[in-house]
Amino acid sequence: MMNSGDVVKKVRDALIEASSTFSADKIRAYERAIGSEQDERAKFILRTLLENAQIAQKNKSPLCDDTGIPHLVLEAGPHSVITGKLLEDIRHGVEEGLKKLPGRPMGLLGNDSERLEQSGGISPNSEDVLPAPILLKESDEDITRLHIMMFGGGPAIRAKTYRVFHKHDVKEVMNEIVEWAIEAVAQLGCSPCTLAIGVGRSHYEASALMMEALVEGNYDRQSDMESEITNRVNESGIGPMGLRGRSSVLSTFMKVGPQRASGVRIVCLRPCCCFEPRIARVELA
Amino acid sequence: MVLTTPISDEMIAKMKTGDLFYLTGELFCGRDAVLPRIVESLRAGSGPDLKGSAIFHTAVSAAGVGPTSSNKLEIESSIAPLSAAGVRLHIGKGQLHEKTIRALEQYHSVYAVIPPVTALLGERMISKEIVGYSELGMEAFYKISVKEYPIIIAAAHGRSIYDE
Repeated sequence: MMNSGDVVKKVRDALIEASSTFSADKIRAYERAIGSEQDERAKFILRTLLENAQIAQKNKSPLCDDTGIPHLVLEAGPHSVITGKLLEDIRHGVEEGLKKLPGRPMGLLGNDSERLEQSGGISPNSEDVLPAPILLKESDEDITRLHIMMFGGGPAIRAKTYRVFHKHDVKEVMNEIVEWAIEAVAQLGCSPCTLAIGVGRSHYEASALMMEALVEGNYDRQSDMESEITNRVNESGIGPMGLRGRSSVLSTFMKVGPQRASGVRIVCLRPCCCFEPRIARVELA
Repeated sequence: MVLTTPISDEMIAKMKTGDLFYLTGELFCGRDAVLPRIVESLRAGSGPDLKGSAIFHTAVSAAGVGPTSSNKLEIESSIAPLSAAGVRLHIGKGQLHEKTIRALEQYHSVYAVIPPVTALLGERMISKEIVGYSELGMEAFYKISVKEYPIIIAAAHGRSIYDE
């Protein structure tokens, strides 16, 4: 078992990596988009976003000033031991990462109503941006692996979790997803997007599956359904930053969970911005 | 093309949607929390001198700067009165409503989008200072000095790039 100090350090460094680094497959996705894009303005935006990623990685500085809310997925293998102390160390590592990055200080102070109306002030401390509840996931591998994702505010505004009546035809679900996605991508200023989709039996499950889709997603591998969604949204011509072009979406990451015998599917769609999922992984055992 | 602040009426007259500029000079920064206060102070006759200025819709924090959505209610509703007070260039992201496009035209101002490239913008920022409402923290009214910020004109002379 890893000692407490090492866990904190590894989580800290993973949070900084997630916030400042494009994965190799994401860089390849950008390069493919630049290569295939016909619109010169769209090409300029894509190249500028890639240049930004190079600077952020070099400086280990934030890709975006909305450094996001930490979202954590903890994968546990058959011999993994998850203790309260480990969770405390993970939380401490997140705090250290936010301090060192530095994260944008945007944690609100005050009681429930004060936080809702933002009247209790803003904490000046980056580490007061608390992570969302950890999602625990079983794994067949002999691992204890933490995935850190940094979720910004723009995609949260345009995300949607709602029911879809499938009418016993997958096309109904796909059509609804594409319709939602086109509306969301057009409203999101920071594209090209990565569409993250979870389909489950409840809003909670659909949201969790959306998170898993991001954890498992790879820009070099797309299922038929993922490719269809990406292509259909790109046909709309929204383009990077909504300024026209064929590269509105880089990829779609979709996870379909168990379904219930009923006429309804619950779909969670997050139109991740040009930087997200801002993800890094770290082994904690 | 190069654009420097303060921005003249002659420069505004030449701009058209889709133009790409590299902006150098001083910019004011503000977003949801502070812009309505600036508007209120202008109505009360005590606002800052904004003639020929540019306002970047962003927070300013240790994490850097980057555009927030300009079509958020409190930001977009500030665009007309700030233009009337002399702001020539509003910088942010996202599509504005028709009413705002018309107000920009009325006051000879334009709207530009800027890629959300915080790391790049950080390297091209020379200085920053709070010029008002410091109690708002990262949402205070800031002035920053920058070089070669890439912007794309998205609304000018009654036209919007999103409608073309």
